[in-house]
Amino acid sequence: MLQSFADRFYLNFIMDDRWLYLLNGLKTTLVVTFFAVLIGILLGFLIAVCRSTCDKTGKLKILNSICKLYLTVVRGTPVVVQLLIIYFVIFGSVKIDKTFVAILAFGLNSGAYVAEIIRGGIMSIDNGQFEAGRSLGFNYPQTMIYIILPQVFKNVLPALANEFIVLLKETSVAGYIALEDLTKGGDLIRSRTYDAFMPLIAVALIYLALVLLFSKLVSLLERRLRNSER
Amino acid sequence: MNVNEPLIRVEDLKKQFESVHALNGVSTEIRRGEVVFIVGPSGSGKSTFLRCLNRLEDPTGGHIYFGGTDLMDPKVNINIHRQKMGMVFQHFNLFPHMTILKNLTIAPMKLQGVSREQAEAEAMNLLKRVGLEDRAQAYPSQLSGGQKQRVAIVRALCMKPEVMLFDEPTSALDPEMVGEVLSVMRELAKEHMTMVVVTHEMGFAREVADRILFMAEGKVLEEGAPDEFFGNPKNERLKAFLSKVI
Repeated sequence: MLQSFADRFYLNFIMDDRWLYLLNGLKTTLVVTFFAVLIGILLGFLIAVCRSTCDKTGKLKILNSICKLYLTVVRGTPVVVQLLIIYFVIFGSVKIDKTFVAILAFGLNSGAYVAEIIRGGIMSIDNGQFEAGRSLGFNYPQTMIYIILPQVFKNVLPALANEFIVLLKETSVAGYIALEDLTKGGDLIRSRTYDAFMPLIAVALIYLALVLLFSKLVSLLERRLRNSER
Repeated sequence: MNVNEPLIRVEDLKKQFESVHALNGVSTEIRRGEVVFIVGPSGSGKSTFLRCLNRLEDPTGGHIYFGGTDLMDPKVNINIHRQKMGMVFQHFNLFPHMTILKNLTIAPMKLQGVSREQAEAEAMNLLKRVGLEDRAQAYPSQLSGGQKQRVAIVRALCMKPEVMLFDEPTSALDPEMVGEVLSVMRELAKEHMTMVVVTHEMGFAREVADRILFMAEGKVLEEGAPDEFFGNPKNERLKAFLSKVI
């Protein structure tokens, strides 16, 4: 029993350096997630500020409509379909790096969800905070930057962390455009060794470890932010 | 500028919400150093009037001359003028993510280019005068309501305003904390700070005000010095109002 376990371990990970499939896949997954998160935050932040500015002041109406359309399309269609459309339709006729396509697709997708999270955070701040900022002479952007957004960031941190955990796991569909991410790496091992258990469980454990590590970091950050207030 | 020119002159100010007329043509003048109280039943437009003075509410008609500038002129940069009009809110609206000292110094540092040392020294000076210098490093959530409101007054004073607008500054306070806030305002009045105060504290209005306006249905129905206002009211609405609140 133990012997067969060791044999299978050897077969799936050691022989022919198959562990490299997992390592390289992990690198790709991390790169895609990291840059997609950056795009998601930037895009989501801009959309959220634009949307709540329109809600509060009635300005930026056209931009707001564009943002709404974007949110509807992105949240109304599956991320796999978006990924396939970007790769096979939008960039269908040009040769392009798959990692870049994945980053773009997941970043654009995440941006929509981040936008709604941040917008919710902005709307949850008491209007008195805006008024106090404006009454001191801060203009609208200054009030946002100095008064509102620092409070928003703290309030939305748990929801944002959740979004990024979802994003990390969502990148596992990148195999649809034959990008060799972590999931695809495990699957490639399975197709070589005809053993499903070892590689797939290994992949699952790596995702789990990443999520646990990330959750830990976020809870540390949350505690630090909370300490600054009491 | 003409010395006799009032600090604030309001001409036929109107504010319409959807279908409600909150202000129906209010005209008045506020001279430098004058302490003006505005009283009236709820829904009379007194808070709306005060919030229109620094355009936190946008009036739908009329003019507000502040130091000679028409604040209703679309070309006016309202942010510059708001720096000279301190405002104190019913619910304090301190910034919860900053220490008290930061609450007091952020606006002078960011808007008036005051150095940190100077801003902090001035803030500590003012804090000392309201008896809160030991709370400089505390956060707003650690303060009582009365302390928060005193800090809020100091925050407005740190910008060295020419006029202070008070929007029901004691209405959200527990009764035993009202006194400490009123005594700070009393001090300010003694130093001839120009003040416009919306309040329900009739006794305080009678004691401190130079002039009292009675508002109802978006209009100023009567105005006068406290003795005349309370002792010999002429308007029927004011008589009815005073009989209920005193």
